[in-house]
Amino acid sequence: MARPFSTLLIWLVVAISLALPSTFLLTLDNLGRVAPDLTRGAQLSVMLRSKADLAAARLVEQRVGAWPEVSQVSLIPREQALMEFAEQTGLSSVLMSLENNPLPHTLLVEPAPDLNKTAATALVGRLAQLSEVERVIQDTRWMARLQEALLAGWRWVTAIGSAMVLGAVLALITTMHLVIDARREEIEVVSVMGGSAAFIRRPFLYTGVYFGAGGGVLASLCVWLFSAWLAQPVDALLALYDMASPLRGPGAFYSACLLAIGVCLGWLAALIALRRYLRSLEI
Amino acid sequence: MIEFDRVSRRFGDIHALRYLSLTIDQGEMAFLTGHSGAGKSTLLRLLLLLDRPSGGDIRVCGESTAKIGTGSVPQYRRRFGVVFQDHRLLFDRSVHDNVALPLAMAGYAPRESQRRVRAALDKVGLLALERANPASLSGGELQRVGIARAVVAKPEFLIADEPTGNLDPALSSEIMSLFEAFNQVGVTVLVATHDLPLISRLRHRILTLSAGSLAGQESG
Repeated sequence: MARPFSTLLIWLVVAISLALPSTFLLTLDNLGRVAPDLTRGAQLSVMLRSKADLAAARLVEQRVGAWPEVSQVSLIPREQALMEFAEQTGLSSVLMSLENNPLPHTLLVEPAPDLNKTAATALVGRLAQLSEVERVIQDTRWMARLQEALLAGWRWVTAIGSAMVLGAVLALITTMHLVIDARREEIEVVSVMGGSAAFIRRPFLYTGVYFGAGGGVLASLCVWLFSAWLAQPVDALLALYDMASPLRGPGAFYSACLLAIGVCLGWLAALIALRRYLRSLEI
Repeated sequence: MIEFDRVSRRFGDIHALRYLSLTIDQGEMAFLTGHSGAGKSTLLRLLLLLDRPSGGDIRVCGESTAKIGTGSVPQYRRRFGVVFQDHRLLFDRSVHDNVALPLAMAGYAPRESQRRVRAALDKVGLLALERANPASLSGGELQRVGIARAVVAKPEFLIADEPTGNLDPALSSEIMSLFEAFNQVGVTVLVATHDLPLISRLRHRILTLSAGSLAGQESG
């Protein structure tokens, strides 16, 4: 292209407009991938009545384990629970001085993964009705919050992203108008000599694609740099939560998508910019 | 054959052409003259379908141009070679590439295109400047490159709008003899010009426009 500086500028405009929303998308994508790892938290803690002994607890464990809406049950005997509690709190001497173990036998019930909200609530009810069960503790509220937050996040990104992509298209159209204006003489001459609309369009469509593709490449470079820069602290953060890092960078598919989107936007902008000129030439 | 049949073109209250009827025969060479604003440019624009008449009909080889739709206009225009007063060459490419433009849009293969471009440049005597940039050429040379570009695809009609407007008399007469040479090999030539002293020496029909109507015609 004849004007490298303005080419670079339009590349940057397209790159920024594509990179920002796709960075958000990548973030949400990664958050969504972390979330299922946290379903451990969705499990139910079922406290049995203190009069129920270990044998009774084992029976309940077997019964509940056979339910279709339950994927896994594990029993934590009250002695084990007391030991763990003592270990974690450092109150072992205090606890040892107690006459009776105040903790009940506890079942950790993990619902089947495809269970929806209503079914999960029904499961809680069903567990609570068992005669041996004292209390069912359910910690699903934060899961629901995370899900809503993710949904809100997606919509937010979609709205911001659409606005930014629209901005990129408008900038591309303006630039294409300038490019076309600079070659107006050529278009007129070619049109008088009988150049078809396709013949006149072709070089400008290539220019549009060149602008868009360059923007797409720069955008994926930006996203890639950003995620590489972010990877180390995020990995460290997740390690603090005892989670293996599922963080995923943009990858080949993401970059290919950005390139394809850039190409499409450039092509579209060139077509829109050309329409006005071709109409005025009656072809 | 080009026929204008009671053709009018109005721009608001202004009649650029008023019931104009004229005929240019196949293989003829004719001059179109008249004062500025007499309707010469409007006539050429209508003929090339750069504009459409307000009334009347223009027929080329017996076929009405009114029936030519937008999609077929480019193909129709390729039957004409056009020479402009200001040559309208593109300065971002060589003489060769300028002349090759009509062949590129008609889809010629590079080898055939090269051969035809060289033949056309040879006819106007500029083969040596094939690789030059138009910016380095004189006014007369530029106009000859423009003519080479107009004839390279072997059009049926050669249309020229004030082709000698910017040239001195010697160069003008040189350009006119080029047009005559193409006419002699069967191309129908229509030249719009102010240059009465020049064309009165040549033996071709002169059509004079005045206020959008045909004021007179002298056969050469």
